[in-house]
Amino acid sequence: MTSVQSKLYADDVSLVVVLLDANPFFWATSSISFSQFLSHVLAFLNSILLLNQLNQVVIIATGHNSCDCIYDSSSPPQTHSSENGALPALYAHLLQRLEEYSEGFPIRATPSTAPSEYVAIMNAIFSAQRSMVPIDSCYVGAHNSAFLQQASHITGGVYVKPQHTDGLFQYLVTVFATDLHSRSFLQLPRPAGVDFRASSVFGQAQGDASSAADRKRKAPET
Amino acid sequence: MPQVRIIAKSFMDMVASLPASKLDKLYQNVFICEAILRSLPPLAKKYVLQLLYVDDAPITAKTLEEWVLADGSSKHKVAIDRLIQLRIFTETVDRKKEVTYKLNSTFQSNLQKHLKNGGVLPREAMPANVTARLPSLDELGQYALEQWERFLLHLISPSQTDARTSFSSSMMRVFQRGLLTQRDKEDPTLTEGGFQFLLMDTNAQLWYIIREYISNSEERGIDPADLISFLLELSFHVTGEAYNMNTLSDIQGIMIKDLADLGLVKLQQGRKESWFIPTKLATNLSVSLSDSSFRKQGFVVVETNFRMYAYSTSKVHCAILRFFAKVEYQLPNLIVGAITKESLYDAFKKGITADQIISFLQQNAHPRVAEKIPSVPENVTDQIRLWEADLNRVEMIPSHFYDEFPSRDVFEAACDYAREWSGLLWEDSKRMRLVVKAEIHMNMREFLRGQK
Amino acid sequence: MRRRRGRLGLRAARSVREAEIGDRGGGASRVRGRMRRERRVRRKEGMERNQHSIPIDINSNPNQPTDSSCCVVLSNAVADHFRRRGGREYPYLNPEDWIAGKANMASGQVTKRVKYKSSVKDPGTPGRLLLTLEKLVFKPNNPNSASKLNMEFRYIKNHKYTKEGSNKAPMLNLTSSQGASYIFEFENYDDLQVCKECVGKALSKSVEAPKPADTSEVPSEQPTTEELLMRMNLLRENSELQKLHKRFVIDGILTEAEFWATRKKLLSGNSSRNTKQRVGLKSIMLSESRPAADGRTNKVTFNVTPEIVREIFAEKPAVRQAYLNLVPNKMTDRDFWTKYCRAEFIQGTQAAVAEAAEDEDLALFLKPDDILARETRQKIRCVDPTLDMEADQGDDYTHLPDHGIARDGSKDITDSQNEIYRRTLSQDLNRHAAVILEGTTVDDEQLRDTQSVAEALARSKQGHDSANEEAYANANQERLQRISQLMEIEDLRESDDHPLAPLSIKDPRDYFDSQQASVLKTSAGVETMKCSLSTREAYGSLRQSISHIKAAGLTDPIVTPEVALKVLSVLTQNISSTKFGLGKNPGESVLDRLPSAVKDELLYHWMSIQELLRHYWSSYPITTTYLYTKVKTMILFLIFIVAYNGKFKVDLLFCNLQHLQVSRLKDAMSKIDLQLQEMKESVQPDLRHQVTLLVRPMQQALDAAMQHYDADLQKRSARSGERPNGYA
Repeated sequence: MTSVQSKLYADDVSLVVVLLDANPFFWATSSISFSQFLSHVLAFLNSILLLNQLNQVVIIATGHNSCDCIYDSSSPPQTHSSENGALPALYAHLLQRLEEYSEGFPIRATPSTAPSEYVAIMNAIFSAQRSMVPIDSCYVGAHNSAFLQQASHITGGVYVKPQHTDGLFQYLVTVFATDLHSRSFLQLPRPAGVDFRASSVFGQAQGDASSAADRKRKAPET
Repeated sequence: MPQVRIIAKSFMDMVASLPASKLDKLYQNVFICEAILRSLPPLAKKYVLQLLYVDDAPITAKTLEEWVLADGSSKHKVAIDRLIQLRIFTETVDRKKEVTYKLNSTFQSNLQKHLKNGGVLPREAMPANVTARLPSLDELGQYALEQWERFLLHLISPSQTDARTSFSSSMMRVFQRGLLTQRDKEDPTLTEGGFQFLLMDTNAQLWYIIREYISNSEERGIDPADLISFLLELSFHVTGEAYNMNTLSDIQGIMIKDLADLGLVKLQQGRKESWFIPTKLATNLSVSLSDSSFRKQGFVVVETNFRMYAYSTSKVHCAILRFFAKVEYQLPNLIVGAITKESLYDAFKKGITADQIISFLQQNAHPRVAEKIPSVPENVTDQIRLWEADLNRVEMIPSHFYDEFPSRDVFEAACDYAREWSGLLWEDSKRMRLVVKAEIHMNMREFLRGQK
Repeated sequence: MRRRRGRLGLRAARSVREAEIGDRGGGASRVRGRMRRERRVRRKEGMERNQHSIPIDINSNPNQPTDSSCCVVLSNAVADHFRRRGGREYPYLNPEDWIAGKANMASGQVTKRVKYKSSVKDPGTPGRLLLTLEKLVFKPNNPNSASKLNMEFRYIKNHKYTKEGSNKAPMLNLTSSQGASYIFEFENYDDLQVCKECVGKALSKSVEAPKPADTSEVPSEQPTTEELLMRMNLLRENSELQKLHKRFVIDGILTEAEFWATRKKLLSGNSSRNTKQRVGLKSIMLSESRPAADGRTNKVTFNVTPEIVREIFAEKPAVRQAYLNLVPNKMTDRDFWTKYCRAEFIQGTQAAVAEAAEDEDLALFLKPDDILARETRQKIRCVDPTLDMEADQGDDYTHLPDHGIARDGSKDITDSQNEIYRRTLSQDLNRHAAVILEGTTVDDEQLRDTQSVAEALARSKQGHDSANEEAYANANQERLQRISQLMEIEDLRESDDHPLAPLSIKDPRDYFDSQQASVLKTSAGVETMKCSLSTREAYGSLRQSISHIKAAGLTDPIVTPEVALKVLSVLTQNISSTKFGLGKNPGESVLDRLPSAVKDELLYHWMSIQELLRHYWSSYPITTTYLYTKVKTMILFLIFIVAYNGKFKVDLLFCNLQHLQVSRLKDAMSKIDLQLQEMKESVQPDLRHQVTLLVRPMQQALDAAMQHYDADLQKRSARSGERPNGYA
């Protein structure tokens, strides 16, 4: 599989869709606490909005077996604040929604039906590849995720597994805050060992869907 | 070809040209830091963000360069230059000639604060129970547009009585500098620059005026830094919200009236208090000029038969169209005209170029035709260019004509001499006549004298 | 040339095998298994005689025959060494043994000092015996001696040897298929032992290919010669395939049949070429031939040949039906055709109307063909109702007077009266074309008899119709569904323009079976987590985190300057290290920067692993012993590859592999080990790290397979506690 050549972007306006992993089982065992993690991610989101007033951020929280869109900077209640770049409501609102979300976690008795999810995930990745939306993955789990590596690779995104989780923000800002326009001038971390044929043999597709915060970037519709 | 003299230089260019002490003072304002960050080239933004939490240790230039691909080296250079120019980066070269950069600490801590606290509004909006019914966003937009048009009309035809602004005539003259020429007793006419100004989109026009306004501020005893700072601050207000006038300083109080004339804010008076409402023009101040998402809707339809329909109520639009088209009917919301050879020749005579006309038509194409490619019929654009080329078919070169040479030798020597100076335009050896460029006439005369 | 020989050899081998079957009178499918069992029994009993059929390996790569085969021989020796020591196949592998095997491998052949005898009593010629897997060579010490020998093992039928402890000298007796015997006397029994094994392996190479007792699930049907040819062609054309084949089949990891079973498509794609082509019909319109007029009289002559009859019957089912109805009951064959020709002649004229009114049989020929019309209607009904045929109507000019091509050049006189008797040329042409495309079932022998032609055509038509009937019914059902779908008014429906196309998987099972391992793994993982942590606790701690940050805000500073600097420099370092040598091409990967040999090597290993994994996963769910064995084989090999990566993760799994033919695995293992070691050493130190990175996904894939195997094994042993392997 070859990765897509990224589109040429005329400006540095970004729509960043962040898939935030809020799987409680992962965070309960993780080396970095969820509040620390959130702290880094929120600061990162704010810096995206800071960079350009046209930038947009959408946050989707994924739980153990559900997911929900919890924040959209372009939705009406936030219109004023996002236009101004001053975001008094961002953190409070986002956290509020996240809390609501975590309370409303539906708890299913049986483990989720993985094959159907797998298809959905692969579909999403292939669609991203087709529509040239890079998927960046920042993986804070213990092992590398071959699945996310693959996803990032085929979509022309970046995969990073931070070594120092206390500097997560620095990773996010240094690598992932790079707009697509600038990516054609910059060298971003490129993982070794992804470009093998038919990596779909990898079995750990589902295992990796947890414990990652990966983000898709997309040029705004103009 | 007429040179484009009117360039709507970006606000940040003006900021960058401020003296260092004033820049440092500006950075104490969080909003200015934010606005300036947003105005930076993409790579520069990234560098600032990257170094935002690297406090003490300066970063070597090499560290940043590592990331740059060969294609991006020029962009990298531009970004770094801009950062240094704006004093966001301070560059130091140590003894080993290693270049290091350090982030301006005021700038840095302000942005850090912003990231942590999510930013705070420059001033509190007035509660709704104090203010009367505020204009809706649409009304406000309408208001801003009207104000701006009135100003433009005033600017280009000062004699029109219905277009009055509170700008002093001296101030208006400042604005008109470069746009209008006024001969004695005659009505002022637009210069080439003036036409180009009118063909620009609103944002660009606004920048031009604001720039003139700022550069003229010192004459009026206002510190340009204060003015810039206030304008930037204004751009962070919420469109449509009311802000109390008493939160403004005296100087700002004076300025806000001028800005109201330009349509940047709307002033309203309550029973006790008075307030200003920023319009979109104000909040867009820090947006980059090239951004098209704020461009207003187009209104012109051009047909392949050179007829032109402009759905507009604006007098300014009508005035602009008259520059290059023959307006036939003018209905309340529709201007019907034709692009003719004569109308275009008039335009060319005034110094408007074919490309300017075409780009105006394209940029203001009605949404119905804007989707089509091309939005302006090709035969029309081609013809406009051909007619322009027609005018440029004859090249005028001032020259001198020589004849009645005493002998063929002298004639030939003169030809050779002119050729040597590459000033020979034409020769007729039979009747011994030649034409030489005017610029070498003096040399030629000397030469011929020597021949005698 | 060699290839050709191999093929011929195969035929020979099969015939020999068949002969043996005849000897024993056993069932064909059981022969191999029995042979092996007998062999084993004999060996245990210490019988000296060992019988073999001639093994022929059609897959041996003629280009590089030696290196692989030597390797097999010697590592088999290692396996035998184990066997001897433990008395049974003890599967534990000692890495040192591999290395020992490797050392021997380097020499590539076995050379022993022997005496070559033509009979037992012959004093013998002293010399050296050189054995490879392919052939044996005897070089006498005296170069002038006539008793040289250089022959391939293919021609050797049997080998006998003297038993250690008997009074006889250590001797090896090889019998050729022609009956000649070659006797070698060794200096000691150890030499004999080594050579004996060597010969044994060489002879049994293809015989030893597995044929477990239960053959029900084993893909082992004998391939046809065509298929073999095709396989060889494929191998020749596809070097990657050839490599894989060499690695796994020739070295005995997979059987020939297993290897090809997963590549049926490749084979079938080619086989279609070879189907016998039937001769079609000529496209000339025979029945269109005009009558011959002599010019003097009004008499015209029609010439009706059997071919024309066939064509008429095929194209005009109404005429065929009329023939079957009328001839010979009502009229003779000749009368029928006369009438038909008359009808054709007057067709489209005024006379036709008049005559048709008088003669109903004639009218039959003039009328539009009902049967055809019915068929056409049926066909039209099958057309997708959503298809917009409106445009087609414009092409139909038949309703216009004097339009179209007039038959036989004369002006077409149209008359509303004889409208119904008019046929258009285009109709005829279309019908003719359709018949030609359909082909015919009537062969030339049948053509002689008009009656049988008519019947045959009618029959074939009927058969066709009844076969189609069901299809028509189905099509009709589908059609109705489609119409009902389309009946919905689009505007009223919720828009379903999903921006993403759904992934369509032809056979989901095919796809998901390979994902089984991960499913197991994930669910297992979730379960264990759940055990250690109650759901409530987990969610509670998550909520706590959120409220903590809500109360306290973001940590300040978000990143300490030291950490920020550290991260930045780590990232920058990473950039500068990968940047080295990389061009502008962002698609270029680390792989492209490796020396091409290393890159090829890595890709080759990756392909091998994929091949193994494919076989491994396709064996699940395990239903037969055969599959079980196969899985174990795969696992062993996979473990080996992991072991290469410096882990030496040889676990207890080996203990459970008693029923496995360990030898063929070990062979392949020691080989790949050597290759990988060499590769690793050849890589420059600065790239070694990257090679390790590249190898990691391989490891991960292997780990997944092995974990699944582990889990499966545990399940099995839990289910059948008394039998540790589930298969005793």
